[in-house]
Amino acid sequence: MFQNRTEALALALPAAVFAAVVFLVPVALLLSEGFKTADGWTIQAYIDFFSMPLNQAVFLRTLKLGLTVTLAAAVIGYAAAYAIVTLPASSKGKMIGLVVLPLMISPVARTYAWIVILGRTGIINQALSAVGLTDGPVRILFTETAVFIGLLQLFLPLMIISLISALENLPRDAVPAARVLGANWFQVFWKVILPLSREGLIVGGTLVFTGSLTAYITPAILGGSKVLMLETLLYQQVTVANNFVSASIIALILIAMSFAANILLRRIASARSAK
Amino acid sequence: MTLKTLLCAATALTLSAGFAQAQDKTLTISAYAFAQDEFSEILYKPFEEKCGCKVVVETGNSVERLAKLEANKDNPVIDMAVMSTADAMAASRNGLIDTVDTSKLTNFDKLYDVAKDPNGDGMSVGYTFYATSIVYRTDKMKIDSWADLLKDDIAPHIAFPNITTNQGAPALYMLGKALGSDNPDLQVPIDAVSKKAGDIVTFYVKSSQLVQLMQQEEIWAAPIGRFSWAPFTKLDLPLAWATPKEGQTGGMNVMVVTKGSKNRDLALEFMDYWLSTEVQTKLATALVDSPANSEVKVSDEVANNITYGAETAKSLTLLPASVSLDNRDAWLAEWNAKVGQ
Repeated sequence: MFQNRTEALALALPAAVFAAVVFLVPVALLLSEGFKTADGWTIQAYIDFFSMPLNQAVFLRTLKLGLTVTLAAAVIGYAAAYAIVTLPASSKGKMIGLVVLPLMISPVARTYAWIVILGRTGIINQALSAVGLTDGPVRILFTETAVFIGLLQLFLPLMIISLISALENLPRDAVPAARVLGANWFQVFWKVILPLSREGLIVGGTLVFTGSLTAYITPAILGGSKVLMLETLLYQQVTVANNFVSASIIALILIAMSFAANILLRRIASARSAK
Repeated sequence: MTLKTLLCAATALTLSAGFAQAQDKTLTISAYAFAQDEFSEILYKPFEEKCGCKVVVETGNSVERLAKLEANKDNPVIDMAVMSTADAMAASRNGLIDTVDTSKLTNFDKLYDVAKDPNGDGMSVGYTFYATSIVYRTDKMKIDSWADLLKDDIAPHIAFPNITTNQGAPALYMLGKALGSDNPDLQVPIDAVSKKAGDIVTFYVKSSQLVQLMQQEEIWAAPIGRFSWAPFTKLDLPLAWATPKEGQTGGMNVMVVTKGSKNRDLALEFMDYWLSTEVQTKLATALVDSPANSEVKVSDEVANNITYGAETAKSLTLLPASVSLDNRDAWLAEWNAKVGQ
C-alpha cells in the first residue's frame, strides 16, 4: 500500500508515541513496584502475596468465576448466535439490536436493577415461592451466584456478537451436509461449527473472561465484601491499606490471566481445527 | 506580527497580571468530597467575600489526601485540611502538620470540650462529630445491646459495616464491650462476627446502599453513623435508632494546619469562621455536619437528624485515634483472614 516502510512508520508514529507515553510507560512503572525493594529486584512480594490464605481464596474465586462465566456465555452465546444467523435478514437486524441494547445502559444502572430482582422480595424469590419450590426467600444477593448472574448478563452480548460475525462466514451448506452425512448435533457442533467459528470464540471468550476478571462495579455491588474478587481486593488495598505493592501485584496477575486465557483459547481452537 | 496584535497581546498580559495579583491571596484546603455544593454556599463563598481571597478546595478520600500532603511535604500546597482524628494523628506523626494556635480562634471556647483537642497533642480542633448506633425495624426485633446483632434470629437480617469503613472499628469495639472485652485488638468481636459471617447479609462499604436494602426488606438492622440516618426516616417503615446499654459510639472530624504553610493566618481565620456559631448553625440546618460549637441552636426536627447537644457529645464512647491508628493494619489483616474469606 505504501511506497516505502518509512512512510508507513511515520504514519504509525503518533499513535505509537501516544500509546507508549500514556499506557506502556505508566503500566511498566506500576508493575515494577511489585518487584522493587530497597535491596534490588526480587519476587519476594509475590511469594508473600500468594502465601496469604485470603489472597489465594480471592485468586481462585476470581479464576473460577471468570471461567464459569466464559463457559456459560459460550454455551448460551452459540445457541443464540446460531439462532440469529439463521433468521431472515430483516429479523436478524432486530435481534442483533436487542442483543446490543443492554450494552447501551450504564453498568451501574443494570447492576442496581439486579439488586431489586435478586432480593428477598424480588421477582426470582417471588416466583420460587409461588411455584412452591422454596418455603421462604432464598438468599441470592451478596453471594457468588449473584456475581455470576450479573457478570454473565453484562458480558453475554459481547460473546453473542463475536459469534454472530464468525457464524455468518460459515458456509450455508456445511451444517445440512454434515447432517446428511450422518453426524449428530454434537458432532456437527464439535467437528463443523466450532472449527469454522473459532476466531469468534477466541475474541468473544477473551472479551468475556477479561471483562469478568476486571469488572469492578458488578462484584462490588452484587457480591459486596463477602465475595471479594481480585479487582475489589485491589481497590481495598489502594484506598484502605494504601498498599501499592499488593495493588501492583494484583494488576500484574490480572494482566497475566487475560493473556493466558487468550493463549489457551487459541490453543484449544487451533487444536480443533488441526484435526 | 502587526502592531495591533502586539498591542492586544500586551494589554491582555497586563490585565492577566493585574488579575493574578488580585487573586494572590489564595487559601488551599483539603476536604472530603462530601456535600461540596453546600459547603461552597455556606462556607467557601461567604469566606471569600469576607477575606477578599480565593479558596481552592482539593477533595478526595483520606488516603489520597494524606498521600498528597506527604508528597508535597517540603513545599506544601495545602494550607489547612479536614480529616478523621486517626488521620490527623498519622499526619502529626509523619511531621506533616503543626500545632494549632487556638489563641487566634475566637470561637474556640464555644466548642464542646471533646472537640477542643481530641488527640491531646494540640495539633487538631474538632469541627463535627457523629454518633454511631444501630438503625432497626421495631416490628421485627428489639435492640438493647450491641450483642443482640449476633443473635441467631437477628444476624441473618443485618448488614454490618466493613472494617474498611469509618463505622467498622467503632461498631466492633462496642460489640466487643457487649461481649465482655475491652481490648482494642478487637479479636473477640472479630471472632464473634466471623462465626456469623455466613448469616450476616453483607458487610457494607457505603452506607448509602443501606436505605435500598432496608426498603427491600433485605436487612432489618445495621450499625450506621447518625449522618446517614435522615434518609431512613423517609422510608415508610417502623424504624428506630437504638440506644444500646453499652452506649453509642461515633467519630469526630478535625481541622489541621500543614507544617510550612505560607498562609497560616488566613488558614486560622478560615477555621475560626468555620467554627463560628453562624456557619455551624447553617451546616447543621442543611444536615451537612453536626455542630461542635455548643452555642448552635437548631429546631427539634433538625436535632433529630443530626448528633446534637452537650449530653450526646459527652455520652459517646469514642475509640481513641492512637488506638485506631496503631491497630488499623492488624485489624484489617485479622478481619480479612477471619471474615473476608
